[in-house]
Amino acid sequence: MTKNQFKQFIGFLLKHNLIIAPQYNAEGYLHLNELKDSNDLYLGTELPLDSWKWYMLPPDQKMFEYKGEKLKETLPQIPKQVFLGVSILDMQALTLLNQVFEKDPYYQEIKKKTIVIGTSLVPEENFYQFFEKFEENKLEHLQFDLFLAVQKSGYKIYSGSEDGQRLLDKFGYKNYQHIEYAGPIREEGLDRQMVEIKDAMQNYHEQKIWDDLDKRCIQCGKCTIACPVCFCFRMYDQADSAKDTGYRSRCWDSCFYNEFTQVAGDSPKDSKHRFMNKTGEKIYFWYEHHFVRTPDTFSLPGCVGCGRCTRTCPADIDIKKTIQNILSARKKMLKKSKNDG
Amino acid sequence: MINKYKTYNCKILKISQEGSNSKNFSLSLPYKNFNFTAGQYVMISIPGFGEAPISISSDMNKKDHFQLTVREAGTLTSELHKKKKGNIIGIRGPYGRPFPIKLGKDKTILIVAGGCGIEPVRPLILDAVKNPQKYKKVYIFYGAKNEDAMIYAQEYDKWRKACDFNLTLDNPKSKKYRKGVVTKLFDVKKVPNDAIAYVCGPPVMYKFVIDKMIKQGFKPENIFMSLERHMDCGQGVCQHCAIGPYYVCKDGPVFSYEELKNLKTWLKPI
Repeated sequence: MTKNQFKQFIGFLLKHNLIIAPQYNAEGYLHLNELKDSNDLYLGTELPLDSWKWYMLPPDQKMFEYKGEKLKETLPQIPKQVFLGVSILDMQALTLLNQVFEKDPYYQEIKKKTIVIGTSLVPEENFYQFFEKFEENKLEHLQFDLFLAVQKSGYKIYSGSEDGQRLLDKFGYKNYQHIEYAGPIREEGLDRQMVEIKDAMQNYHEQKIWDDLDKRCIQCGKCTIACPVCFCFRMYDQADSAKDTGYRSRCWDSCFYNEFTQVAGDSPKDSKHRFMNKTGEKIYFWYEHHFVRTPDTFSLPGCVGCGRCTRTCPADIDIKKTIQNILSARKKMLKKSKNDG
Repeated sequence: MINKYKTYNCKILKISQEGSNSKNFSLSLPYKNFNFTAGQYVMISIPGFGEAPISISSDMNKKDHFQLTVREAGTLTSELHKKKKGNIIGIRGPYGRPFPIKLGKDKTILIVAGGCGIEPVRPLILDAVKNPQKYKKVYIFYGAKNEDAMIYAQEYDKWRKACDFNLTLDNPKSKKYRKGVVTKLFDVKKVPNDAIAYVCGPPVMYKFVIDKMIKQGFKPENIFMSLERHMDCGQGVCQHCAIGPYYVCKDGPVFSYEELKNLKTWLKPI
């Protein structure tokens, strides 16, 4: 597809959909926002500060409205939307969220109305080796509707779903290749880097790494908001001013907040009991979620290497360095046990 | 698609006071074929006040109702305590991995409970009372703060008929009761160390009870404990209850000590 054709395609999409796409704002920051003019679209290797979970898994989601004892399901009411210019890293994040919320009616309702258009552009700074560069055979393990492989003059187009195909047919573009989704796990098996990090976390523990982070992390939770795959949530009820009516909702939560593990105390006036009260424990819990529990449950890395957490951290904690430390501690211990016979 | 967060209304059939700050609620079944095994829990819901996980505490063999014993501890449970017979509360579940009851068959079993930890093991006790031939022998070690904190006190005589029931109170008001924490009972009563143990109590209790049991030669794979954690979804998604690779809401709440002691995390689960 030539660049000119692509511009026409955006115009075609704009007619019937809300397009969310990376755009620079007035202050010069790259954000995801509604695209109104195709000239504002940014397609490049820089990742937007916010991730697509803002739209797939909104920060606050009404789940039920209640009247007295009766709960009524409230599915999200959204227009048809197009995610345009999703980096292959963020496609991996969305593929993981799709697995996590496979049986969640709220997520699925949004997914049903969303077209994901990915791009082969990846940031230059990226520690996840698998995504260092785009190769066609990676596509069959990612969930998307359309994909733009960037070429010298325009884009090679792939479709990844029937919805994607229909869209191209309607626009009148035929020169695309269809990729059948083959599940999240690749032929060569589990991602090697993922397996190594998990093994290091579980079997080659180096306390010093976490003691250092304990001193530096300020528990602000910004990394959990910036992360494209952090999906912790809590549920809460909100009563309306009118008697006996209100909502049950869920909203993003952060494992760095003190109330995250809170359970009942002895009586209403007694203090509550909390688990993991040290900063180091909390940050370790965060790493366990991404690098142990997610690979365990979904056979997928719980981190796509986008570096958003590093960019946003006010304490200058670099996930790339932490992962290097985790892996080198494992290497050292393996070498030592080999030398010890 | 089934909405797994949907709650089912249950009618409160009966309320009885248990100790000074707990109530036992008998509830109508939320839906047809509702059944559970000892150690499982439900999420209770009161619109406007939210949800919380509560262990099911009734006789597993009763098919017309089930019971939840709830201590008044926070906003939701205080609201529940205001409810009257005939009122409605919401339920979803049951959730979680129960106590492995079959493992104890024809063997000696030991039930250790501290405080309101007696609630999730009560289905085990009631089952043993009803089917005494199921086990070689049943020991119960129960520790409560004082007389006011004793739960199911009117049932102890019935339990004693089928079980070796041992009670101790941290600070008894009357001299009628043994004084001391629940670990003390291990010195008073010698339980064969090949027994299958089911343990439930506050976090602080586990360390001392497990230490004692390991010293006495109990096998880690025969000790089963029910853990308490903050839960929102009950389905292994929201992350609040996670410990190491496990989700307490669905991989637990019952774990063997073998599973927990091998947990390769520096965050101690208990």
